Amino acid sequence: MIEVKKISKNYGRKKILDDVSFTANKGEVTCLIGINGVGKTTTLKAIMGLTPYKGEILIDDQKMTKDSYEKITFIPDAPTMLPQMTIKQAMVFMSDFYTSWNPERANQLMGFFKLKEENRISELSKGNTAKLNLMLGLSLDVDYVLMDEPFSGIDMFSREQIADVFASHLIEDRGVIITTHEIGDIEHLIDKVILLDNGSVLKEFNTEEMREEEGKSVVDVMREVYQS
Amino acid sequence: MNVNPREPVYLQVVRHFKEQIAIGNFVAGQEIPSRRELAASLNINPNTAQKAYKEMEEQGLIHTERNFPSQITTNETILQAVRQELILAAVDTFVDAIRPINVPVDELLRVVKEKYSEEIREEEEK
Repeated sequence: MIEVKKISKNYGRKKILDDVSFTANKGEVTCLIGINGVGKTTTLKAIMGLTPYKGEILIDDQKMTKDSYEKITFIPDAPTMLPQMTIKQAMVFMSDFYTSWNPERANQLMGFFKLKEENRISELSKGNTAKLNLMLGLSLDVDYVLMDEPFSGIDMFSREQIADVFASHLIEDRGVIITTHEIGDIEHLIDKVILLDNGSVLKEFNTEEMREEEGKSVVDVMREVYQS
Repeated sequence: MNVNPREPVYLQVVRHFKEQIAIGNFVAGQEIPSRRELAASLNINPNTAQKAYKEMEEQGLIHTERNFPSQITTNETILQAVRQELILAAVDTFVDAIRPINVPVDELLRVVKEKYSEEIREEEEK
């Protein structure tokens, strides 16, 4: 479990995160939603130790140390490899760099996303860049996967393909935290929702419990919370 | 399966299975897909598939022996009850929709009979 406990962060006078707390379980997909930009990516970066913050983040009951980062991978929404590389070269780089690289899973994901090894990264569409990032990140044998806006600005077929990952064994047993500003086609694929606004958590809920107890969809709750 | 975002997905999966049983796509004792296969084929979260299977085991619809694929029950009473349940649920929906129109029951039954036969004829012609 990843436990984010009362973390805060300012840029100058601007509050980016204000006492943010939530938990994300292993074996579940937790979705950080925020319609107004601020806070989601910073939260992921805080978990990854890429930005300083006040407060505490625990992973499997332990404080984050250098070793904890072996358990997590961060999948950003921008290209991570040099543009002149081919996908094959990017895979070789990853396998040299990470001991947790799983070549078998990488091959499955290449097939799943219909990516071609010989393609050059500079020539990939936005959708295929997103798929490449997911392929590289999910091919690491780690317990937790953080995905920053995997659906942002890409075509609907790529979005559907990425959504399919959440219904597959490629994700199973891992803890996934995903940020998004629109819930779209993954509404029924996520376990838990954290609604953020202006750097604060407005609501945290389990999607199936919400449906069962209140008969509300994620979008219904978003309407209530953000439009009140 | 079309997912309704306002109803627990695991219950929708259970209903989907009941429909398949009532239609005869799943028969007594038949092996059913693993949780993982089901999640991928229905495009649902694997945890939801797991929860649906648990619910179906509790209702006696399926049973699982250790390390074997789950199977549809061979208990005829349960299988018949599934069929009854689906018929009643469909009729309930129909009655709710038609009641406000206040049709005499004889007229209603006549129209239902006609429509139903017509529907079956059309399907057979296809």
